[in-house]
Amino acid sequence: MFRNFNVWFLSSLLISIFVSIPILTVFTSFFEDTSNYYQILKDTFLFEYISNSFVLLFCVLIFTFLIGTGSAYLVSFFEFPLSNFFKWALILSFAVPPYIYAYSLTAFFENYGTAFTILKNLFGDGNYNNNIPKFDGMFGAILSISFSLYAYVYILARASFLYQSQNLIDLGKNLGFSKFKSFYKIILPAARPAIVAGLSLVAMETLAEFGAVDFFSINTLTTGIYNSWITFDDLAFANRISSFLLLFIFSLFIIENLSRKKAKYHFNTRDGLKQKEKIKLYGSRSFLAFTFCFSIFFLSFLFPLSQMLYWTIKFPENLFDLQITNLLLNTLYLVLLSSLVLIFFSLISNYGNRVSKNKTLNTLSTLSISGYAIPGVILAIAFITFIAWFDDSIVKYLGFTSIKKIFIGSILGLVLVYFIRFYSLAFNGIKSGYEKINISVDESAYLLGYSKRKTFMNIHIPFLRNSLLFIIILVSLEIIRELPITLILRPFNFETFATTAYISASEDLLEAAAVPSLFLILIASLFIIISSKYILRENNE
Amino acid sequence: MSNNFFEVKNVDFKVGGKTKVANVSFAIENEGDVICLLGPSGIGKTTILRTIAGLEKIKKGSIELNGSILSSEKKNLEPEDRNISLAFQENSLFPHYTVEKNILLGAERNKGKKDHQVSLQEIIELLDISLILNKYPHEISAGEAQRVSLARSLVTQPDLLLLDEPLSNVDQSFKEEIQEKLKKILKSSKITTIIVTHDSYEAFYLGSKCGIILNQELKQFDDPYNVYHLPNSIEVVNFLNRGTLIPAEVTSPKSLENKDLGTITGNFIKPFPIGSKVKLLVQPEDLHHDDKSNLKFEVVDRKFRGTNFIYTLKTPSNTLIPVFVHSHHIHQHEVDEKFGIKRPIHIDHIVCF
Repeated sequence: MFRNFNVWFLSSLLISIFVSIPILTVFTSFFEDTSNYYQILKDTFLFEYISNSFVLLFCVLIFTFLIGTGSAYLVSFFEFPLSNFFKWALILSFAVPPYIYAYSLTAFFENYGTAFTILKNLFGDGNYNNNIPKFDGMFGAILSISFSLYAYVYILARASFLYQSQNLIDLGKNLGFSKFKSFYKIILPAARPAIVAGLSLVAMETLAEFGAVDFFSINTLTTGIYNSWITFDDLAFANRISSFLLLFIFSLFIIENLSRKKAKYHFNTRDGLKQKEKIKLYGSRSFLAFTFCFSIFFLSFLFPLSQMLYWTIKFPENLFDLQITNLLLNTLYLVLLSSLVLIFFSLISNYGNRVSKNKTLNTLSTLSISGYAIPGVILAIAFITFIAWFDDSIVKYLGFTSIKKIFIGSILGLVLVYFIRFYSLAFNGIKSGYEKINISVDESAYLLGYSKRKTFMNIHIPFLRNSLLFIIILVSLEIIRELPITLILRPFNFETFATTAYISASEDLLEAAAVPSLFLILIASLFIIISSKYILRENNE
Repeated sequence: MSNNFFEVKNVDFKVGGKTKVANVSFAIENEGDVICLLGPSGIGKTTILRTIAGLEKIKKGSIELNGSILSSEKKNLEPEDRNISLAFQENSLFPHYTVEKNILLGAERNKGKKDHQVSLQEIIELLDISLILNKYPHEISAGEAQRVSLARSLVTQPDLLLLDEPLSNVDQSFKEEIQEKLKKILKSSKITTIIVTHDSYEAFYLGSKCGIILNQELKQFDDPYNVYHLPNSIEVVNFLNRGTLIPAEVTSPKSLENKDLGTITGNFIKPFPIGSKVKLLVQPEDLHHDDKSNLKFEVVDRKFRGTNFIYTLKTPSNTLIPVFVHSHHIHQHEVDEKFGIKRPIHIDHIVCF
């Protein structure tokens, strides 16, 4: 194992071990005592937690599959009004986290909400509340999560459709298949690995979702974990539920990984890169395609954006109550610090893997990147558990002073957990950049007299520049939207747009949640627009 | 220490713990010599070059350059600390630099070390890459990339240059021209070079010595002429695919007898006792066509090779024998026709096993 032992190997090993800590912490909870809460919950709500989680997961998967694959199919194969605009506009839904969608949904459809105001303005006074449907509870949660996450399926399905071999489609025509038959007999099965990969990401995010389900008071495994920690102060039990959830998520993670490998195979076929000619739609077909894509764009992005904008304008006092500059600086501070830390260590880890060519290290790296699959709530609680144990040990056995405060309720702790959560994004992003540099390029550099450090600095870094920029944007986007980790680990009086929105909403002050939500959507949209070319793989990235 | 400029002594060349070529020994006597290693694909030729460059380690034997040990069981000089350049078979250009910058990076290594026997400009012109200097590696063809890689290696003026199938991606029409230019550059720059190739003609042309690697062994290391005309094993004969082995009996120190060809005279490269049953190597150029001869065999195949035809003849004992005939020969023989062989048969070097 240590044949190629050097400083790069050691650094890479330490990073991988650090990132693996929460997973190990969660699973060690199996052997710890829990409070009475465990028995109470087992007898009462545990079944509800599990069944709610499954219902939510099942419905979100069906919904995201339908709208994600449907819209990807339309924009990939057909030309209709604004089809080029929808191509990238449909990923803007990423800017709206499920919890902000949930606030919008409630704000619009609640008694005397925005829908009521519209009807009143149009038709005068009346008792419209009974006729306005209520999108709350489980249904509201399903809609909020689906409209926020369908873009995962959309992006991967579209990429697969885009690179699908023209020969395959010509074959369908040659066999006399109709467009619909070609779709479900040829195009869809060929894109299956990509769609499964997208759905797996949706599944992981759904199971990890905290803000929206908490807002709609749906008891799922994730909220159960949070409650067992907040209400009953039972970390061991929180970790025990986490381990159940993690086992399930890991199986999804494995499916996703296997699918992604196959998906990559599809993208790499030389024929697949041939640009397909899009079919121009006319008349009712064109109208239907436009309506379908516009409805999704409207419902997933314009609707929550306009609802938040409307409330911000309607209640301008909230705009002045809030210290926007402070929130912006806090958010940017976290984004910048975390991105730099992530980029720095992911680069080292990737390079360590590259130069050491060590199988054990590779396996450990694969395990450590699973942090992205672990719900933020679990990560935060596992981190607290680990620090508490570590702190107890050094105080008890070594007589050191407590270091808890350095890590819990501090920026350092927050950045460390962000690091674990988003390490896979940075690691994989750099890894895919590295895959484009043939190993013989490194060897050529050595033979030209470059040391390993010089090769890293002069050859790799300039080549990876674009990948690094994209990773910074992607990580920033995630951190801007991130809620549970920030909520649990942030320092006292340190707020971001996400936490301010959550706190206002949980105090039933939805109007006050509108301003931070609006800013969050706008900043996230800006990041998405900047990175859309990479996300959509327009330049063969 | 030996007096050889470069020497490989009893080395097992391994990759990922698996032995590719075992117990290899060969030497380059003088600085500036060019040698070639020849063998089928996947046999371990590249592993040998990578090990000499320091990219793979050895656990047995030693590799020495100019009196210093580069690799041994105990010592391994890092690749960046050996002044050895390796031009890889696949594209190893730095993807984010232009062709010119890639070559200049090679030239940087040579700063203040040696006088440039061949200037950068000359190398660029000889390898015909002046028109692509401003392009990026992804904008040029595989053949062009290979020439750029070659140029980058050459400008480093290394103590030892290693070329891994340097012309495998170069168009056939352009190959001979590049081979000539490469030979010229190597000669005038006096760079000691090891070239790995699976093309025997390329090896015979470029190398002053050739090593044949087969079945995990260096089978023969000799002058190209000797490798071709005096192969030291049946494996080398089969690899070079230059003739056929027919049964014969040694009848005197200068002759042998074959059932179909009759008496064959010549000089044995290795003596055999009279009466020995041997396998005689008959190469296409050993037999000569003669329409008037009464020794006639049936033509079973005819290959047109531009300057010549190779006829495959079937003897009464069903042995297939190849025979060269100049393509301007007055008349051609069709398959199933009879083909005469000139008598008496005399072979300059009699190779038997």
